[in-house]
Amino acid sequence: MPEEPLDVDIRYTYLTDAPYLRDWLLQKEVQRWFPVSQDKEIEDATQCWVGFSRYNSSLTATVDHVPCGIGTLFLMPYKKVAHHCLFKLVVDPKYQRKGIGRELLKNLKHLAKTYFHLELMHIEVFEGNPFIHLLEEFDFHEFARQEKFVKESDRYFARILYQSYL
Amino acid sequence: MTPPPELNFRPTSLGDAPALMQWLMDPKILQWFPMIDAREVEDAVRIWIGYSRLEAGLTAEWNGEPCGMANLYIQPYEKLNHTCLFSIIVREDMRGKGVGGALLKQLMQYAKEKFKIEILHLEVYESNPARKLYERFGFKPFGSQAHFIKENGKYLSKTFMQRQL
Repeated sequence: MPEEPLDVDIRYTYLTDAPYLRDWLLQKEVQRWFPVSQDKEIEDATQCWVGFSRYNSSLTATVDHVPCGIGTLFLMPYKKVAHHCLFKLVVDPKYQRKGIGRELLKNLKHLAKTYFHLELMHIEVFEGNPFIHLLEEFDFHEFARQEKFVKESDRYFARILYQSYL
Repeated sequence: MTPPPELNFRPTSLGDAPALMQWLMDPKILQWFPMIDAREVEDAVRIWIGYSRLEAGLTAEWNGEPCGMANLYIQPYEKLNHTCLFSIIVREDMRGKGVGGALLKQLMQYAKEKFKIEILHLEVYESNPARKLYERFGFKPFGSQAHFIKENGKYLSKTFMQRQL
């Protein structure tokens, strides 16, 4: 029987969403796609990430008022590059493959274009990341591929950069 | 190539900040960086010079006077710390004396020996003549980001380059 569609809400991220993000990043299946691997790295990345909630450039997906994903525009600090930005997106492993990432990405692109008047947004992903399919569906194209960027247990993986015009 | 005898290298120190600030504020140099005004340059200098706490910067001196700097932006993540982004700058009036090449050579050796870095990478804007220097030192492009810089309604792309040490 098909699953009931989830009732997903999208709202601005609060600083109090940090514990959820930290919990997701602590999970090995999530860490695999992010640079973090140590507790201190996870803590620093969490604080930096949710810190963008101060600029209203971060969105949180919730189900029954509980956060299940976060997408964030890392706004650029310099004027010459302020027309574009890097973004990051993560979904609670319990809620993956249920359309949360799609919903977040759609809303994040809208936020970038209509509220921040950005012209482009880009993302860095590690090779093999299943999120790449969604990026391509949302008109992101690859513009750089850096071989051997990630090293884990003496195995190397590439970093791939995708960009989309808004 | 042997570096000129007038040239020597030392770790960058917090006291190098004013010199770096002054060089970056030269419009001929600043055009190749993402900053646009004194406030932004000050912020970038604070970050750059901050790496001196890790001894990740090198300052070139010509007869004892700072004439160039290079910095390794050491990765804070274990999975990525075999790679490193770097920046390099040569004082405008010291161009054409072999300072950039000597500094880059020294930085590559320093990165490998002190930080066990395997791959160095850089970002260079369209039309920047420094790209020739990077190519001469074996850096290969691995991508280009269109429309990266927007200044007075004109766009410039950014090219990514890297090399194995």
